[in-house]
Amino acid sequence: MREIRINGRKEFGGQVTAEALVSPKPLEGFTNCSAKEGYTTERNHPLFKVPFKGKVLVFPYARGSGGFRAYGNGAHTPAAYVHHKTNSLTINCAICAQIPSVTDLEIDPTTVVETGDRVFVNGDEGYIVVYKKD
Amino acid sequence: MYLTDEEKRMLHGDEGVVRQKCMQYLVAQCEASGAERLIDLDGTGDFHTPATAMAKSFEFSLEELKELAESGAKFKIPTFANKAPMPGPQPFHGWETCGMHPYDDPERNIKARYEEYLSLYRKMGLLATHSCALYLTASYWPSIGQHCTWTESSAVPYCNAVLGARSNLDGNFASCFLGKTAYYGNHITENRRATVLVKSERMIASDLEWDLYGFVTGELCGISVPCLTGTAKPMTTAFMRLNSAMNTGGAITMYHIPGSTPEAPTIEAAFQGHAPKDVVLIGTAELRRAYDTLNYLPAENVDFVSLGCPHYNLVDLWRLSLLLEGKTCKTCVWIMTSPWLYDIAKNQGFLKIFEDAGANLMSATCPAAMGGVPDGVKTIAVDSAKQAYYITGCYPDLENPLHVCYGSMEDCIEAALTGKWRGEWR
Repeated sequence: MREIRINGRKEFGGQVTAEALVSPKPLEGFTNCSAKEGYTTERNHPLFKVPFKGKVLVFPYARGSGGFRAYGNGAHTPAAYVHHKTNSLTINCAICAQIPSVTDLEIDPTTVVETGDRVFVNGDEGYIVVYKKD
Repeated sequence: MYLTDEEKRMLHGDEGVVRQKCMQYLVAQCEASGAERLIDLDGTGDFHTPATAMAKSFEFSLEELKELAESGAKFKIPTFANKAPMPGPQPFHGWETCGMHPYDDPERNIKARYEEYLSLYRKMGLLATHSCALYLTASYWPSIGQHCTWTESSAVPYCNAVLGARSNLDGNFASCFLGKTAYYGNHITENRRATVLVKSERMIASDLEWDLYGFVTGELCGISVPCLTGTAKPMTTAFMRLNSAMNTGGAITMYHIPGSTPEAPTIEAAFQGHAPKDVVLIGTAELRRAYDTLNYLPAENVDFVSLGCPHYNLVDLWRLSLLLEGKTCKTCVWIMTSPWLYDIAKNQGFLKIFEDAGANLMSATCPAAMGGVPDGVKTIAVDSAKQAYYITGCYPDLENPLHVCYGSMEDCIEAALTGKWRGEWR
């Protein structure tokens, strides 16, 4: 098993290890995320209706409405967020969800992490470690 | 992070529970954004009512709000209300014939539930604009360099790019009340620098072109600050289309159009003397692809038309009145505007024209915000990328999808009058 560390910045503190769910496409909230069901409802999105509860949700950045916080509200929150670039949407979502979140990573994590990889997210110190399946 | 003595006192709880919770949220915002301090706001703000905070763990009780309002406390900056109270904002006007429940329906008790909060907010100075495009009716705007806290994704670029004021997408009670927000993002001059040069093969001029161009720019530029070239000079409707579509395809809160937007008279000024990191060319093929994306399973028979995303301005309403005068709609038609423009539309005679045509002028909300359209609707026609792209999120059952026809205002009115979609790429 290969371990890859990627440095970034704390967005929200806490530490967790869980399985990754990777979205190569930026995520969008408001009506395009169901907090009730815990999945993306954006049409033609690679994660359409794929549950994110308990996963390390890995994506490039957040786009769209302030309703992005749907990814951080409700009973189906991910275990952690990992994303390449921060903006107001991810900042407020992390505060809503109160789960570890690492951002502003030195490389786009969606180019390294694959769905199913286990990922250690250190929100306190602002880095992640990817455990590659191979 | 650095806090002033006054901020420390509030955080410690010396100034009461509400100020303490507000400061706790703002400190959390600083930690999450990497901001090292707060900045005092000298512009305007808005927030989604009736929530007392953007995140549940920082909310405070109605009793605490009451105590605060009765103490004579006021919002520190001019503060406006975004849309009708959430969630599922109900129309303030025009619900009578559209099959929706009114905001003040006593049986559903929505107004009664929210009114206590709203009356206290108004006592504190909240200006009850209740619109996603509240900047149109606010009658009061920040100017270049003033620090603000706005909350609507389609409105924040109006603050930054069009007015030259400075805001992240973070309008909330705490910031409006204390007049402070985390100092990061668009508040900092160097972050307002363009990094991507966008060129266009085709002159962007019509409302539909601005809408499509905004969606594509959002998709291609993501969260960057683009410098847009090759467009006509935008007026209000064009800016509204561009801003809302950019924040559907992407998340662009700041951009420059040299010669049109106030911070960049030239391309060089937009890039603050730096070279572009990227150059993007938007051609007819990209616009066409967006057009096809926004038309989702389009069908010939249309049974519902929704206009006014973002809420129509007065000129949009006037143009629409010309299209509908003396006509009869075959489909259900919703026209969304802001509550204060509804009254002006009534005085102008537009409301009568719409009513005579069988169209519903409504205010303070929209189909996506309400969570969908009336039961039984199969195909909706819209003139907005934002509405086209968000409304299907309300219908994730692929066995029973909502079909979306997307085109110009004229295409939508043709569909309203005939029940047929004849819009096509031109």
